[in-house]
Amino acid sequence: MTDRTAAPAIDFRGVTKSFRLPDGKTLTALTDTSLSVGKGEFVALLGPSGCGKSTLLRLVAGLEAPSSGAVAVEGRAPEELVKAHRLGIAFQEHALLPWLTVRQNIELPFRIAGRPVMRERVQGLINLVGLAGFEAARPKQLSGGMRQRVAIARSLVLEPEILLLDEPFGALDAVTRRQMNVELQRIWSESRISTLLVTHAVEEALFLADRVIVLSGRPGKVVRTLEVPFARPRHPDVMRTAQFHQLVDELTETLHPTDGAGH
Amino acid sequence: MSGERTQSALLGALGVALMLGAWEVIGQNRLVGMTWPPFSSVMAFLFDPSRQALFSRALTATLGSAGLGYLIGGLAGLAFAMLGQILPVLRPGTDRATAVIHAIPSIALAPIFIVLLSREAAPTALAALNAFFVFYVAGASGFASSSQTQRDLMAALGASGTKRFFHVDLPAAFPGIVSGMKLAVPAALIGAIIGEWFGAPRGLGILIVNAMQNFQIPLLWSVVVLAATTSLVLFSAMTLLERIVHERYR
Ligand SMILES: Nc1ncnc2c1ncn2[C@@H]1O[C@H](COP(=O)(O)OP(=O)(O)OP(=O)(O)O)[C@@H](O)[C@H]1O
Ligand SMILES: [Mg+2]
Repeated sequence: MTDRTAAPAIDFRGVTKSFRLPDGKTLTALTDTSLSVGKGEFVALLGPSGCGKSTLLRLVAGLEAPSSGAVAVEGRAPEELVKAHRLGIAFQEHALLPWLTVRQNIELPFRIAGRPVMRERVQGLINLVGLAGFEAARPKQLSGGMRQRVAIARSLVLEPEILLLDEPFGALDAVTRRQMNVELQRIWSESRISTLLVTHAVEEALFLADRVIVLSGRPGKVVRTLEVPFARPRHPDVMRTAQFHQLVDELTETLHPTDGAGH
Repeated sequence: MSGERTQSALLGALGVALMLGAWEVIGQNRLVGMTWPPFSSVMAFLFDPSRQALFSRALTATLGSAGLGYLIGGLAGLAFAMLGQILPVLRPGTDRATAVIHAIPSIALAPIFIVLLSREAAPTALAALNAFFVFYVAGASGFASSSQTQRDLMAALGASGTKRFFHVDLPAAFPGIVSGMKLAVPAALIGAIIGEWFGAPRGLGILIVNAMQNFQIPLLWSVVVLAATTSLVLFSAMTLLERIVHERYR
């Protein structure tokens, strides 16, 4: 189902990204990172805080340029996909516009792309992320988790070719988070958008992704790649299997080698 | 919260009452001489029916030129600020030009306007100049007040420069622009009154000059009270608008 022979959707070749700090020092966020996301593949990115996960997504979105190495999106420069409005992104800080309502925020990509707003699609996404009845609310009136759900709906509204999700469920409680995971899996299974998801939750990564990539602490570097063995469509029950638990333990161990003393 | 607001309104009213009381006492007892009439006699002068026509004609004239100047200066100031935002290369130029214009005292510019335009146009021109500066500063800082995340979002959505301007920079600038709209009200009024000193046919400024030259102390104070009250009322109305916009856009 995943086609990795054609040009990959996202391709990182030996990418290093350093930032120049105001005091003149340089901070290396990512070092010599190579990874790829195949067409129609769902890849989850795990890694300790500050290891450069958001930076990696920003490189794909063309918001940063690599210090060395190359980033290609569908074999071309990231800017080209962005200019064609084919990229969907949900930022870690949700980035909703405070002066727009929930509905207007979700409609925004249509207006930026200069396309007519597809009202039914917008409403469908609002229902999907469980915000029916909040169409006219403003971001200020929503909880953190609701804002994140608006941001997810907005990232999907143009049916993008590539989807970047930066800890989209970070502010959700465990129950809503699991619901959203199930919903996201359903949406994703219908559209098979090439997706790169950043998360801190190992279970979420295993449930949603075809492949899980683990980055080391700063400067970030790929330390482990794991093919997720579960067949699709995945029922939430896979999370109860022994194999699932074993993989969770394995990945947790890779993330926090000093017996799970996380942050 | 509304209790807090009532309390601050009460305190404000108390302050005003105390000030007017002190004014009255100083005037009644001639504590600073003949040029300080008591508040009550200024009021009596101001509301004397025989002078209503005089005051309302002057006020209308001043408000007219201040209003027109406010509009012209406001639009020009915003347009200038917009230019600096859409074409960033022009930004240092627009900043410097505005600063230089503002550094010249309007008193010095008024004769030039009279020579260039006419006596009638000087109040409007000076009001426009004052409003221009306030609007330019409010616009220029406002257009730059969108957050980095909002600009990143626009970039990731593939927004063009104009799309970004109208969807993010402009709405993010509204709170700042509305604060500018408020501050520009007294600025435009002052401009219009000073402009009138150079021989406009009518207006509050003319009344002030006449009262001063003829030592008509109650008239002088009446006009000042009228100008100050007008400015305060408009300013308060703009404060209300400001509160609404800040609530919505921040
Ligand atoms: N624009 C920037 N200027 C300077 N340093 C930056 C910049 N952006 C990121 N960094 C630094 O790069 C490192 C990686 O940041 P990044 O946001 O990618 O981490 P992250 O893996 O997403 O962390 P988290 O899981 O906490 O979100 C951090 O140390 C951060 O301080
Ligand atoms: Mg991050």
